[in-house]
Amino acid sequence: MTVLTDGNPRMNSDGKIGTANVGERAVIALADVVKRYQMGGHDVFATRGVSLVVPRGEFVAIMGASGSGKSTLMNIIGCLDIPTSGHYRLDGVNIRDLDDRELSRIRNRKIGFVFQGFNLLARMSAVQNVELPMAYAGLKAKDRRARAEVALNTVGLADRMGHFPSEMSGGQQQRVAIARAIATNPALILADEPTGNLDTTSTIDLMSMFADLHSQGRTVVMITHEEDVAAYATRVVRLRDGVIVGDHQRVPIHARDEHVAHVQAATARLDDREMPS
Amino acid sequence: MNMMGNVVMALRGISSNWLRSLLTMLGVLIGVAAVIVLLAVGTGSSEAVAKSINSLGTNTLTVFSGGRTTSQTGTKSSNATLSTTDVKLIGDSNNAPDVQSVSPVISTNETATYKGATYSTSVIGSTPSYLPASNYTISAGRSISSADVKSHAQVVDLGSTVTSSLFPTGSNPLGRQIQLGSSEFTVVGLLASKGSSGLSNGDAVVIAPYTAVQDQLTGQSQSFSELLVQGKSSSTLTLAQSEVESILAAQNNTTVANLPFSVLNQASLLSTATSSSKTFTALLGWVAAVSLLVGAIGVMNIMLVTVTERTREIGIRKAIGAPKSVVLSQFLIEAVVISMLGGVIGVLAGLVVVRFKIDGVQPVLATYSIPLAFGVALLVGVFAGLYPAYRAASLRPIDALRYE
Repeated sequence: MTVLTDGNPRMNSDGKIGTANVGERAVIALADVVKRYQMGGHDVFATRGVSLVVPRGEFVAIMGASGSGKSTLMNIIGCLDIPTSGHYRLDGVNIRDLDDRELSRIRNRKIGFVFQGFNLLARMSAVQNVELPMAYAGLKAKDRRARAEVALNTVGLADRMGHFPSEMSGGQQQRVAIARAIATNPALILADEPTGNLDTTSTIDLMSMFADLHSQGRTVVMITHEEDVAAYATRVVRLRDGVIVGDHQRVPIHARDEHVAHVQAATARLDDREMPS
Repeated sequence: MNMMGNVVMALRGISSNWLRSLLTMLGVLIGVAAVIVLLAVGTGSSEAVAKSINSLGTNTLTVFSGGRTTSQTGTKSSNATLSTTDVKLIGDSNNAPDVQSVSPVISTNETATYKGATYSTSVIGSTPSYLPASNYTISAGRSISSADVKSHAQVVDLGSTVTSSLFPTGSNPLGRQIQLGSSEFTVVGLLASKGSSGLSNGDAVVIAPYTAVQDQLTGQSQSFSELLVQGKSSSTLTLAQSEVESILAAQNNTTVANLPFSVLNQASLLSTATSSSKTFTALLGWVAAVSLLVGAIGVMNIMLVTVTERTREIGIRKAIGAPKSVVLSQFLIEAVVISMLGGVIGVLAGLVVVRFKIDGVQPVLATYSIPLAFGVALLVGVFAGLYPAYRAASLRPIDALRYE
């Protein structure tokens, strides 16, 4: 399973190491992406020409109000949907050329998803949930168990591997989802409103975890509409009416002094509290 | 995702909704059990019919006197009888090379009495060849003999029902005198039980030399009520029949078509009965197949519900990279596991039910019905699961994830 190991530089779909195109070295390269829906006989544009390049190792927050096209963009970036026109290269692979089966494969190997509703399988324990994408990748049971344990350890749930989602708090469930996302060692971690269903303490906890993943060199793209959450990113892209209206680099909040104190206080409170079992 | 993992996943899915799965299984279970039981009933009843026909004898023709009474031709004598001359001619291997033996039969009903015990029985007056031709065997003593016939000896072989009705258990009836009507007969042999054949009780019989029966019971008419002709083999039974028919036609100065007797060919009777019981068995099989079809519809219905219920799960699986084929096989395996479990339990239930008599018929398990029922259960699973599984596999992940 060479795809799972972080073989850098990656090969593109032609099997050549990309050099010519600017986007080829990037994890995400969107060029003039348009998504058009048919609704009641009318054409509705969800995105009207979005171009975006995300280099390796960036932590990008994509912001926008509802109807801004950010969900559509998330679906396209996540290879769950295909643009009507324009080009999308994910880690060097041209997504427009792929059929359904190949898209599944790309999602499995290159993207780690973290959803707003956690989206864990209720009938599986934490460790089984984390193993699932690796099972689809064809990894042997022993290997995927080992990797799942490492991933759960990374998110601090080493002692809850056998627990079912119903036995865990929202924050813990979302950490399992992160473990599932990172276990395959994907090129991109794609989070869709990951803190939408969490309280403030869990939100801070989770965002620190994303910040940690970023500091380890992972590429994170996060869709959100909350400024507090977007503050953890190193780059904020703003969408309105299907076009990018702002794109700024910034110093993330966790690198600022006042935040460190804030998180330490929150963590202290967390430690004092009994976790629901 | 390997096969084992899929099966484990399917079992987990089934057990998470165990009552619903159980009820679905019940449909297949009943269908499979019905296939096994109904085919066993069909086989059992056709075997019973074959057995009762076989109890008439082995490779036999029965010639009944006064069968057809067609009177449009003057050649036919209305008082045609079966005589000792007929017996001699048919018994001559030059005239009828395919006939093994011929036994004249006089039958009457008499009350048998022994020391106050009475039993109303049919009395067969015949020759010794009647016993093997009619599948009677001697369990004690001896058969009536040709000497008995010649000497008009008043001796009898008793059927097992007559023996048990007249004599107390444990006593030895051999050598005892029993009364048939007003005459005394000596018991020389006991017949082994042929078992109840369904049509008639072959054990409620007394066999005596026809000469003695004519002397003592029916009077000297010199004619027989029937002739029991045994052919040399089942394949030449039709030849034997035509030989017998032409001899009788010649004796009565008529043609075979106008023969004043009716001839019952056991082989043709058996084949008619066999073909009608085959139709009966097939009909039962189709009834069972209909119940399996209903079971299949149940499985499909539940699988469609399951797919709808688990739309979100399917969305998650597809989003994290489950290919279409894996989702397809997951639901297909679940349907197959449900119907296979139903099939296995159905086979076991069928095997239990087959042990009991159903409506007077002892079912006989048709061995082919087990793999048949099981195979059909498997096919039911595949066909009932295919469409729901295809629907699951074709869901678009973004739609499935949005489903509440």
